[in-house]
Amino acid sequence: MTTTPTFMDRHHFLLRRLHSLTGIVPIGMFLIAHLTTNSTIVWGAINTRAADPLRAADGVVQVGQAGERLARQVGTFQHEVAYINDMPFLVLIEITLWLSIAFHAVFGVMYARSGRSNTRRYAYQGNWRYTAQRWTGYIGLLFIIYHIGTLRWGWTFLQPNNEPWSHAHASSTLAAALRGHEGAWSIGGVFVAILYFTGVTSLIYHFANGVWTAAITWGLTVSEKAQKRWGYVCAGLGFALMGAGWSALAGFLALDYDAARSIEAALHGTPQESIMVQQDATETPHTPTMHITQANTPLTTEGGDN
Amino acid sequence: MSNTTTSIAQAGTRTVRFRIKRADGHKKNVRWEEYDVPVTSGSEGSGSANVISCLQHIAANPVTRHGERTTPITYDVGCLEEVCGSCTMLINGHVRQACSCLIDTCAPRDGDVITLEPMTKFPVIRDLWVDRARLFETLKRTSAWVPIDGTYHLGAGPMETPDEQQVRYKLSECMSCGCCLEACPQYLIEEDVENWDSAFVGAAVISQARYFNMHETGASTKKLRLDALSEAGGVSDCGNAQNCVKACPKEIPLTESIAAMGRAVTVHKIKQFFSGQ
Repeated sequence: MTTTPTFMDRHHFLLRRLHSLTGIVPIGMFLIAHLTTNSTIVWGAINTRAADPLRAADGVVQVGQAGERLARQVGTFQHEVAYINDMPFLVLIEITLWLSIAFHAVFGVMYARSGRSNTRRYAYQGNWRYTAQRWTGYIGLLFIIYHIGTLRWGWTFLQPNNEPWSHAHASSTLAAALRGHEGAWSIGGVFVAILYFTGVTSLIYHFANGVWTAAITWGLTVSEKAQKRWGYVCAGLGFALMGAGWSALAGFLALDYDAARSIEAALHGTPQESIMVQQDATETPHTPTMHITQANTPLTTEGGDN
Repeated sequence: MSNTTTSIAQAGTRTVRFRIKRADGHKKNVRWEEYDVPVTSGSEGSGSANVISCLQHIAANPVTRHGERTTPITYDVGCLEEVCGSCTMLINGHVRQACSCLIDTCAPRDGDVITLEPMTKFPVIRDLWVDRARLFETLKRTSAWVPIDGTYHLGAGPMETPDEQQVRYKLSECMSCGCCLEACPQYLIEEDVENWDSAFVGAAVISQARYFNMHETGASTKKLRLDALSEAGGVSDCGNAQNCVKACPKEIPLTESIAAMGRAVTVHKIKQFFSGQ
């Protein structure tokens, strides 16, 4: 070559391997932690100790209309959220993740654009996996931007219920964000729910298939047999994560907003709000709108949704 | 013309229609032409027709099925027994050698159509003939040979274990036909020779690098091949679509070669990182 090699060319191998590595550590590891955490909104039901802080003297849990099962689910999830928020150097963890995702995304798009999908002519399963890996990357990237924007950076313009994210009310705000409304689904909520299903499914596929191809790229699985065996492991990982991701989604979509709100209030020490929500639900079913203003989370609840 | 051939058709003879994509050069005057060719079934005792024999039939009297007189179709051909790879082309959309494509198998009924196109990953010289120079340049780029030149007689090489022979024999069957490259979504046509040094090398060359790295004498230049494969266009440009192994007419375990070279380059680069060499 007559021209001087570019930065990309000089560090070609290192950049390619870093692209592969960042997909697993930290992004993939975070994905596993994130999905298992979120699935506690369903699987928290088997966490017998989660409702203990809400137990009355007689041992019965009754917060608003919420019973034992819901208290365990919301209790576990809120506990996980609080745990993450109390992590030391959380901002460093966040920055590391954002930088890794940005690196993986920028180089990923560039690498994806270096190929031309040809599944029409060569309709092999492996070729479909290759093409799907690229498409799920694009979809996943857009989804992550939307997801972080609305739930972390406080964008409300893409949020049908206009409600900003609140850590103390993680369960209820997430349910409202996904449905687009505190109670029944709104049209915007249907879109958000579909977007989440597509985004989560895409990212899990992208991760599971990425772990499979990374083993070939790094030379861990060499023989066809080894690649096949590792393929089953990765498929298992993918299906397990799909189970976690989909159950989290279903759990939040089915979550009773007011009941979750009462549990959160009881857990995080805002008893006044817990009472007000109960009153709103029981005494004024036909009041159109009632505003409850908290320290920094403006919140709107509508009567008559229950 | 077609009427004549049909009227003289005897038992066991049928007509196969060829749709051929022709061109005067790369993207020059690209056109489709159709020819009707009478073929006799192999079971009739006169031997099986293949795509090359049909192209020879057309060359003897190049008249399209519409009666238009044209020129013989240009194609590359060598061994006629699927070991040289010259006659590789797209037959009914799939890349393979024309010589080993038997008409009885790919067009068993009267009136069946066979579509012939040149490979898409190399510049067309004329009709079905493509220029695969890049493939051979890439073999040079990766030092895909055994160095035996010396200023004195080097004597016999070291012994090879039977296990290694088993693996290397299969790898040695590569004829650089380009089927794996044609099917690869990461290997794209590159007409600019300047870019050949940084464009993806493709499965065949990665497998050849493995073949020569496994050779007891070839291993002396292992480092050159691993360095070449770690650069832009090397083994890490593979996207793991694994079409190559499906398209290979010799059933060479190309995906194993890619993974093996991925491993070799990983180890080589880690060693290099710590040793600085």
